[in-house]
Amino acid sequence: MKKAFQIPDPAARAVSAPPAPASPSRRNFLRGVPVLTAAAAIAPTPAIASTGRQQWAMLIDVRKCIGCQACTVSCIQENAVPEGSFRTVVSTYSVKLTDSAQPAGTYVLPRLCNHCDNPPCIPVCPVSATYKREDGIVAVDGDRCVGCAYCVQACPYDARFINHETNKADKCTFCAHRVDAGLLPACVETCVGGARIFGDINDPEGELARRLKEAQPQLKVLKPELETAPRVFYIGLDERFTGKVEGQGTLWKPRSLPHA
Amino acid sequence: MKIERREIIAAGGLAAFAAGFSQTLGRMVANFTGPEEKKIAEGRHIHGRSAEPEFTVDPVTGEFTPNPNQQVSYTACLGCTTQCGVRVRIDKASGQVIRVVGNPYSPLSTEPHLPMKASVKESLVAMSRFQDKGLAGRSTACGRGNAAMDQMNSPFRVLTPLKRVGARNSGQWQPISFEQLVKEVVEGGDLFGEGHVDGLAALRDLEQPIDAAAPELGKRVNQVAVLTSVNDGREAFSRRFWNQAYGTLNHVGHGSYCGGAYRSGSGALFGDLKKMPHAKPDLANAEFVLFIGTAPGNAGNPFKRTGGMLAKGRAEGRLDYVVVDPVLNNSHNLAAAEHGRWVPIRPGTDGALVMGMMRWMFDNARVNTAYLAWPNLKAAQAAGEPSFTNAGWLVIAEEGHARQGRFLRGSDIGMEIAAEDKYKDADPYVIATAGGELVAAETATVPAVLEATRVIELGGKPVTVKTSFELLRESARALSIADYSAACGIPEEVIVGLAEEFTRHGRKASAIAHGGMMAGNGFYNAYSVVTLNALIGNLNCKGGFVMNGGGFKDNGAGPRYDLEAFPGALKPSGTPLGRNVAYERSAEFKRRQAEGKAYPASDAWFPNAPGLGTEWFPGALRGYPYGLKALVLWSCNPLYGITGVRPLIEKDLADPKKLPLIISVDPLINESNAFADYIVPDSLMYESWGWTAPWNGVPTKATTARWPVVEPKAARTPAGAPIGMETFYIALARAMKLPGFGADAIADMDGGRYPLDTPEDWYLRGGANIAFAGKAPVADASDEDLQLSGVERLRPQLEGVLKPDEWRKVAFLFTRGGRYQPATEAQDAEQPDWQAHRFTKPLWLWNEMVGSARNTLTGARFGGCAQWTPPAFYDGTPMRQIHTEADWPLQIISYKSALQNSYSIATRITGLHPDNPVVVHPADAEKLGLKSGDTARIRTPGGAAECTVIVHEGVTAGVMAIEHGYGHRELGARAHRIGDQAQPDRPDLRAGINLNELGLADPTRGGKVIWVDAVSGTAVRQGLPARLERV
Repeated sequence: MKKAFQIPDPAARAVSAPPAPASPSRRNFLRGVPVLTAAAAIAPTPAIASTGRQQWAMLIDVRKCIGCQACTVSCIQENAVPEGSFRTVVSTYSVKLTDSAQPAGTYVLPRLCNHCDNPPCIPVCPVSATYKREDGIVAVDGDRCVGCAYCVQACPYDARFINHETNKADKCTFCAHRVDAGLLPACVETCVGGARIFGDINDPEGELARRLKEAQPQLKVLKPELETAPRVFYIGLDERFTGKVEGQGTLWKPRSLPHA
Repeated sequence: MKIERREIIAAGGLAAFAAGFSQTLGRMVANFTGPEEKKIAEGRHIHGRSAEPEFTVDPVTGEFTPNPNQQVSYTACLGCTTQCGVRVRIDKASGQVIRVVGNPYSPLSTEPHLPMKASVKESLVAMSRFQDKGLAGRSTACGRGNAAMDQMNSPFRVLTPLKRVGARNSGQWQPISFEQLVKEVVEGGDLFGEGHVDGLAALRDLEQPIDAAAPELGKRVNQVAVLTSVNDGREAFSRRFWNQAYGTLNHVGHGSYCGGAYRSGSGALFGDLKKMPHAKPDLANAEFVLFIGTAPGNAGNPFKRTGGMLAKGRAEGRLDYVVVDPVLNNSHNLAAAEHGRWVPIRPGTDGALVMGMMRWMFDNARVNTAYLAWPNLKAAQAAGEPSFTNAGWLVIAEEGHARQGRFLRGSDIGMEIAAEDKYKDADPYVIATAGGELVAAETATVPAVLEATRVIELGGKPVTVKTSFELLRESARALSIADYSAACGIPEEVIVGLAEEFTRHGRKASAIAHGGMMAGNGFYNAYSVVTLNALIGNLNCKGGFVMNGGGFKDNGAGPRYDLEAFPGALKPSGTPLGRNVAYERSAEFKRRQAEGKAYPASDAWFPNAPGLGTEWFPGALRGYPYGLKALVLWSCNPLYGITGVRPLIEKDLADPKKLPLIISVDPLINESNAFADYIVPDSLMYESWGWTAPWNGVPTKATTARWPVVEPKAARTPAGAPIGMETFYIALARAMKLPGFGADAIADMDGGRYPLDTPEDWYLRGGANIAFAGKAPVADASDEDLQLSGVERLRPQLEGVLKPDEWRKVAFLFTRGGRYQPATEAQDAEQPDWQAHRFTKPLWLWNEMVGSARNTLTGARFGGCAQWTPPAFYDGTPMRQIHTEADWPLQIISYKSALQNSYSIATRITGLHPDNPVVVHPADAEKLGLKSGDTARIRTPGGAAECTVIVHEGVTAGVMAIEHGYGHRELGARAHRIGDQAQPDRPDLRAGINLNELGLADPTRGGKVIWVDAVSGTAVRQGLPARLERV
């Protein structure tokens, strides 16, 4: 077992509220914990070269996620995801904090297919089953897919799996069947904290584009160095979680099932 | 080939995207294929086995097109005790539930909720992408709520009446007919070949006393007792049967082994220890909230509403909060770390933290004395305060005085009070004025003097009186902040910091507690936490500590039907089985007093507690105060839920001589009704009726309608109705010819009489009372509403049971899933900083009911205000004096699962979160050389269990945290044999451990009963002494 992941924090101060009343610094008491930094330099620009067509994307405000897994389970129910597999899930970390008055904190990270504009999963498909729809959704054509799992290996986000009930590559579709019917993806409509925002990145009046614009300096994506151009953007994404996390820090683990 | 994939998520714990396979339960919806998909998927099959959308909304025009294959209905979830309003999507052909989301009309699922005048169609369009409405008005179901539907198709459901085969708890059952069930339980006989068993008819003895020498115990009918869980909107029906028609006094819920210590502490502050009023932080408007022993957004009630508002508040930067708890959980979020902080604490020491905060507040003039001085509501309101306290009321503080701990009353100081009113409501409380006068608190127009200690003459003797304020301040100053810090393990500067932060937001701060209070001093810890609120005057203030809006009453005396009273209704009386009454009024007391030694009593009594399920089993099986002849377990699981009870009672419970008849009404076989003689199937989740109001945390009035949106699966009665609690009780009433049921049982307001022969007779008329409550009734449901909500299916019953001017109004409630006051009415129209629904009685800094009560084993008086006292057994012996730290260096605590419902475990949650490894602090693990994933053994003085450990810093050193909901022996964990059918074997459902099997007996009560808090009688599960061993 590996050691729990540690967040070093040069700026953290082990501070409690001063005993004197009416302290000028309003939030001193809560600053026992390192504040996550925003690195504007690597913030992605979500503007898509406008084709005039709808381009679907998701914004996840991690500050609003309460880790309840409503998204995870609703996705399972909506899409008949087999037990042990996930199209979306909220990874939950207990993170050891150093140089902080608080010994540990909870970090949650909702994850799903990033519907990349430069998707590594598409070129590896030997039968052209996986493709990008004109609206930006990365999809798998079940008629063509032979279940070879090259795409599963190619995805840097581990967003794909072989569905052992259909023997096809499977993953999040942004609930394209619902989106095409004028509805929201299952995970979005049931997000208890209101963390997930879904919409058309090309609709400047829309909620998604407005929120992305507002949050531009804080926006991050997972594994930006791979230049996959994800369509899933995050607010409150700690840089230390944008790549693979070395370490454990688990709150729980899923049942490990034997493989056929 | 998937193993390496799992490593990735080892980081996150949850195996994101790890591959796996297994057929899931209950998925019977046809694949989504067909011409429609071809069109939207550009000719490709990309949707796999995803479900068909329930309707279509044109994103440009908003045009709505229903899917004729599916029904969308608004009803209530029963996945946890919050009972949120939800929308259930059903495949019409198969009757299977496809998925569950929130009801946009319900404040438990939506913030702010949709006005009721919106049509059903408008409410569904509001969930779509059209104009981004579905984002703004998002209405949700949580992870647990999304999963709970799996239970509907569980292979472990009880669908026919069962009679045990062989000994109790043998796991063997015979399906029997409904007629046989009713006949046997009513008439009794030699039912099991073990000798004669009295039936319910014979046990309904309304004449003979249980004990002629102790008539206060009541009649023998009290020896039939009913234990249930939470009010799921059907409790009024059960109480009508058992209390009013059958006549027993004993019908209690699960509070004493849930969060009862918190409720009792709150009840002390709110001046009612039986109903235990409580308030909640106004998270929508608060600036700072201190959560102690409760985990907002991790679990609790109302779960989603709390979690959603917490998320919004911290993301917007308006709300700061601190969670004080021995274990870290999802209430913390590092992405919003500057707005929320976790403060680890030792179990059962919350009172030390809070009294330390109070001490600092008193010493630094950070107590709102101007507010506290107002002695009644009228004077307070005139001064702009929406609430008041008894801070200025005078208390008899003379040591040894017969009325020590009681309030000084008008009659004491010479006011004219009729003799029969002395010390009753008409005898006023007394305050001292600035002019030195003693006047009646209720009518004073001036503030009370808070520092008013004086000696007055009572009955010719000098007697010291003090104000409630002074007694509380003395209690806070009993120890230094350093001492409090040493007790709770929280640094002094953090205690001071919390006090400073708590008192710098005016009224927009509050402090709240819940299940973390279930320690051996839980009552005083909880009383202390909630008393913090009184000291800043935040009650009834927007942004402060606010009351629940309550519900619209279904089972009241009108306005359409009298569901409260009926001819021949009984008023049960006697001593409740849990002894939550004054020992000093018992025959035992009189006898012992006459013998010259009133104390100790035979055992503990709890005059300031509500009904106590915790005390039932050891009490009934030992015959103190009396034994039981029959026990009814309705949807409850005390053997799993009551800490420490199982090893004490399981042998006796299996012995029919000790308890001759056990009947359960339940959709599943759990750890408790496995001991039953008969199990009667009950409705489950979306099959059931019920009218529920939020438990708390919703400032506007709200009632949720639950109705059978799918056909119940249980077998039918001879009359063709599904067997369930209601149809069973109706049949019992008929067989025993009880009042209140059958023909002419229900009266309308004009004296017309109607039958109570079916569940619909009750619930639809209850709906009429709700629909017509208040100034104006609700509107009529339209035909379109009926069609789109699936309520059309109920139309024959609605029209058959209700009057022509009623049925569409009641249908309106079902089409919207309830009745809800508009969200805009949370605050008072005239006083926008005051809540609309306010608590109008005083807050009791000093509670004379507690402060004058005595411990029945020692005769010692209890303290009447917030105080720090270490966890102790009933006679006051500190737990650590008996179970020393040398022997038991660690402590275990229970925490609520964010996912698992402890009573519905055969769902997809079990696959997602299969186990509950025990959280161990690295410092403690290191001593034993344990690392995450290792197996170890936890041992307490009450038991031992093998567990897996998980090692991280998210727990207080010296504490092991056990998530509730695992370690089951039943609910699928054991395959029962029913007739010639064996249930499936699911070893995965046995995973993990149950802290309640490690509970302690109270050595000061002879080691025969479980450890409970001495005031509230609530089970102790936080801070059990323990050690960890390698295996």
